[in-house]
Amino acid sequence: MTVRKTLRKLLVAAILVFLSTLGTLLCRQFSIGPERPSPAFRSFGPADARIRIYEFTDFACPACGAANTHMKNLLAAYKDSVRLNFKHYPLSSIHLWSFDAAASADCAGRQGKFTEYADLLFENREKWAFAKEKPKEFMEYAKTLNLDLPAFEKCADDEAVLRQIRLDVAEGDVRGVNSTPTFFVNGKRAVGSGQLLDQAKLFDNFLKE
Amino acid sequence: MTFVVNLLRGLMNERPGIKDMLGLAARLILGGVFVYAGFLKAVAPAEEFAYAIETYRVVPQNLALLLALTVPWLEIYLGVFLIAGLSGRLSALLTGAMVIGFEGLLLQAALRHLPVTSCGCFGASKSNSLGYELLQNLLLLGLAAAAFRHGKKISLDALMEDHENHE
Repeated sequence: MTVRKTLRKLLVAAILVFLSTLGTLLCRQFSIGPERPSPAFRSFGPADARIRIYEFTDFACPACGAANTHMKNLLAAYKDSVRLNFKHYPLSSIHLWSFDAAASADCAGRQGKFTEYADLLFENREKWAFAKEKPKEFMEYAKTLNLDLPAFEKCADDEAVLRQIRLDVAEGDVRGVNSTPTFFVNGKRAVGSGQLLDQAKLFDNFLKE
Repeated sequence: MTFVVNLLRGLMNERPGIKDMLGLAARLILGGVFVYAGFLKAVAPAEEFAYAIETYRVVPQNLALLLALTVPWLEIYLGVFLIAGLSGRLSALLTGAMVIGFEGLLLQAALRHLPVTSCGCFGASKSNSLGYELLQNLLLLGLAAAAFRHGKKISLDALMEDHENHE
């Protein structure tokens, strides 16, 4: 009798564990849970926008440069309705300097020049992405944008800055990002500019609802 | 089928007193808090919670990540067991032990004046002061005690026992 009772309890416990695990993993897969906004300097558009986009990008990826232009056009066209959270997803295994580029962009962002610095990184990708040693371009772009250079240099090694990028990557991993650029438009995934623009075609109808 | 019928019959026949209702409320609140806290951390990157654990400066970095991967799931499972009332006393005991562990971590951080910016209790998206979390944990500990002592009624444990008696 006791063995039977114990087995029954174990069976019920197993069912509860299975169901709660399944529920949590499904929520994770469909991005149900609290939002994880980007730092203010790489969040664009009104905070209460109805269309919320999370973009996972690598500065060394050519497709990300193209997507950057499309995203700018979308932000201009839907400036009252779209909120963009820019997330770093440096593919460090194939792009040696992506992580450093992300850190440099965040350091420029701390001085109010994230977008300008990101544009320079995208436009000149071929100059720094294949460098054998740490690219001098990162500092040159900081000079071009008249940033506080000692602060910029110190910031690039700041553990808090590096940690933020690592957290972005970890978040991308949890959300199943495996190529860049990947977007989540109101939770719906779009990989590459084509899928993003496909979703953007529905924005007008969505906003009329 | 008989099992389900007996379970329903058990539910209908319950006549809980005040203490039983308090025990049930304690189970539901404590279980709900644990499920919520575990869920917020389980759907977030483990590294986020690991960073919070590291700020307590009690365990090395690699152990912090291991804890960040396991603690949220433990919280969820214990919370679900408490709500359902499965192995209620053991679940309440283990939950209480976890709360005491959390309280110890917070207390040592407060005594050492560690710069803990996010306690990690409910993920990184929300954080209160150490003092607030210490008080909150005392309340949770009280709920664990109530669930341990009076949480038997209207539970899977009681229903399964009732079913055994009918067999």
